[in-house]
Amino acid sequence: MKLYEFQGKEIFKKYGIPVQSGFLIHKNDEVKNLTPPLVLKSQVLAGGRGKAGGIKIWDGNTDVSKTINDLFTLSIQGEKVKAILALEKVDILREIYLSITFNKGKSTPVLIVGTAGGIDIEKSAKLNKEKIYFIEFDPFLGILEYQIRFVAKKLDIDNYLEFKNIIRTVYKIFKEYDATLVEINPLAITPHGLVAIDSKVNLDDQASFRHQALFQKLEEEKKLIKDKEDSNTSEPTDDTITFVPLSGNIGVISDGAGTGLLTLDLISDFNGRVASFCELGGITNSEVMLKALKLVNGYSSLKSILVVLIGGFNRMDDMAEGIIKFKKELKNDIPIFIRMCGTKEEIGKQLMRFEHIPVYNNLYEAAEKAVKEARGN
Amino acid sequence: MSILIDKDTKVLVLGITGKSGRLQTEIMKRYGTNIVAGVTPGKEGKEVEGVPVYDFVKKAVNNHDINAAISFVPPAYCKDSCLEAIENNIKFLVISTEEIPEHDVVEILQFAVNKGTRILGPGTAGLISPGKCKLGVHPPQLYVKGHIGVVSKSGALSYEIGKTLTESQIGQSTVVAIGGGPFWGLTQLNIIKLFQDDDETKIIVLLGEIGGTMEEDAAKFIKEKVNKPVIALIVGKSAPRGKSLGHAGAIIEGNLGTAKSKINALREAGAYIAKNHMDIVEQIRKIEGK
Repeated sequence: MKLYEFQGKEIFKKYGIPVQSGFLIHKNDEVKNLTPPLVLKSQVLAGGRGKAGGIKIWDGNTDVSKTINDLFTLSIQGEKVKAILALEKVDILREIYLSITFNKGKSTPVLIVGTAGGIDIEKSAKLNKEKIYFIEFDPFLGILEYQIRFVAKKLDIDNYLEFKNIIRTVYKIFKEYDATLVEINPLAITPHGLVAIDSKVNLDDQASFRHQALFQKLEEEKKLIKDKEDSNTSEPTDDTITFVPLSGNIGVISDGAGTGLLTLDLISDFNGRVASFCELGGITNSEVMLKALKLVNGYSSLKSILVVLIGGFNRMDDMAEGIIKFKKELKNDIPIFIRMCGTKEEIGKQLMRFEHIPVYNNLYEAAEKAVKEARGN
Repeated sequence: MSILIDKDTKVLVLGITGKSGRLQTEIMKRYGTNIVAGVTPGKEGKEVEGVPVYDFVKKAVNNHDINAAISFVPPAYCKDSCLEAIENNIKFLVISTEEIPEHDVVEILQFAVNKGTRILGPGTAGLISPGKCKLGVHPPQLYVKGHIGVVSKSGALSYEIGKTLTESQIGQSTVVAIGGGPFWGLTQLNIIKLFQDDDETKIIVLLGEIGGTMEEDAAKFIKEKVNKPVIALIVGKSAPRGKSLGHAGAIIEGNLGTAKSKINALREAGAYIAKNHMDIVEQIRKIEGK
């Protein structure tokens, strides 16, 4: 789960990382008695907010309600602005970059610090490689003192204790919240000490069982400002389905990501176009299959459905049950091409025969037929 | 020889009394895998398919000769179970469990490195050496003994290729799925190294997918150290950018992890790039002169 800036900063505050004082403005909130200067920041999850004009400084010389209304009309990478964080302005002497995340290639946590903050860290890493430091550390030992001393020296930090304290706290949050990323960009050096100007916190959905109350609270906060039409946010569900809407006319369901990708490539080689792609994920039963079929069936452009099953964990008797339910419930005339094999294949195929639903053995053949059907020949 | 497992592999099943653990134990046992014990806390004294169940790994290893384990433990308890197995000197551990919290995965992998345990997975279908041993969920009927070594990220794709090869009367030495990521114990490179050193493997098939740089790392190794023929199939050529299509690892970010970059690296390393699964068969026939 990606947190909004104000949610991340609430966690920072709770753990003692200095942040600017401020308050949240929702759309249609009445705003009065504001004291300049204020920094007004659109609360969106998309990156590049500053460049898109989502951050404004109000110095008191203009009509603040107009500035606020302007921000509320913005759509940043398709995400509509529904809340604004208003913050006191601070004097910044220097900005640095600080984050803790996982190095996926090496499967270790990594502390990343840069001499320049605020800007696109990936770009600046490319432009100026020597100024960003990647400090991998042992997940059991945590960040060691000498590692912090090293980056503090590289960054010319005056107040070492304060800096160390912030790194230790960021790590504490990273661990205690099951975060996959805790980022402060920029961390500002001000005349009054270090201040986290921004926050980016991503939590691990797979660890939500350890933080149920927290996830519930964060979800409720998000609901208040979430745009219902946002396509990139989906309701949390119990299943593990990955659903990707595309723009063609063939609905594809697979019970494995690898075969799913192979199927997309085959369809593309046959000059077919995929309407949507659905991968069932780790939890598979007849209900999941039924749900997947309903998901891909929800497109008016749909001409055929291709179901590619090759079960290891996944049981073909369960899958057959789901497909039969779909056929019965929806009395659908969209042609479905099913390739079924793997665990409990005999029972699955028998169930399908019983209902007179044809099953293919060969992926190539099933894909070719689904494409031909979609083309109308 | 085959890689990682063979006729002498003696297996401990973690989470043996759960739905998956029970079913897969039955299938593995029927295939001939020597499963000697299982662990589920609170279930000591019970039996699954004639296999004794223990509360703790320590008691299982005290009572039985064990040299490999497979976990079907649910995500919330998986870390504890894996750390217990590693602590008790299990040197090869297959983690089939998916959706383990990332912090837990990183700790499991680090502890395994510290203790010298090889991890396959997490989130893996496991591996099969046809005719000898199966440690995982590969549907046995799709495989037959032979000389092709297959390494895949995706479990399902390793079934697909097993099926395609078997239907074409081409047998396999070992078929390994390493998991969809984004964290891995054994990598494609590690498995290819084992195949290179394995007498029984004559041709290596690498099944990769978009995302990450593991295929590129494997390509570098192939170029420098592998003299057996390598056939590579990279799936996801037609996948949209920036979207995850079911594997956390299979996402294209920027120019990293594209099918093109992987195909170029592998081709440059001397691997044959297969157009699709059927093309792998054609190429094997060509190499074998049939």
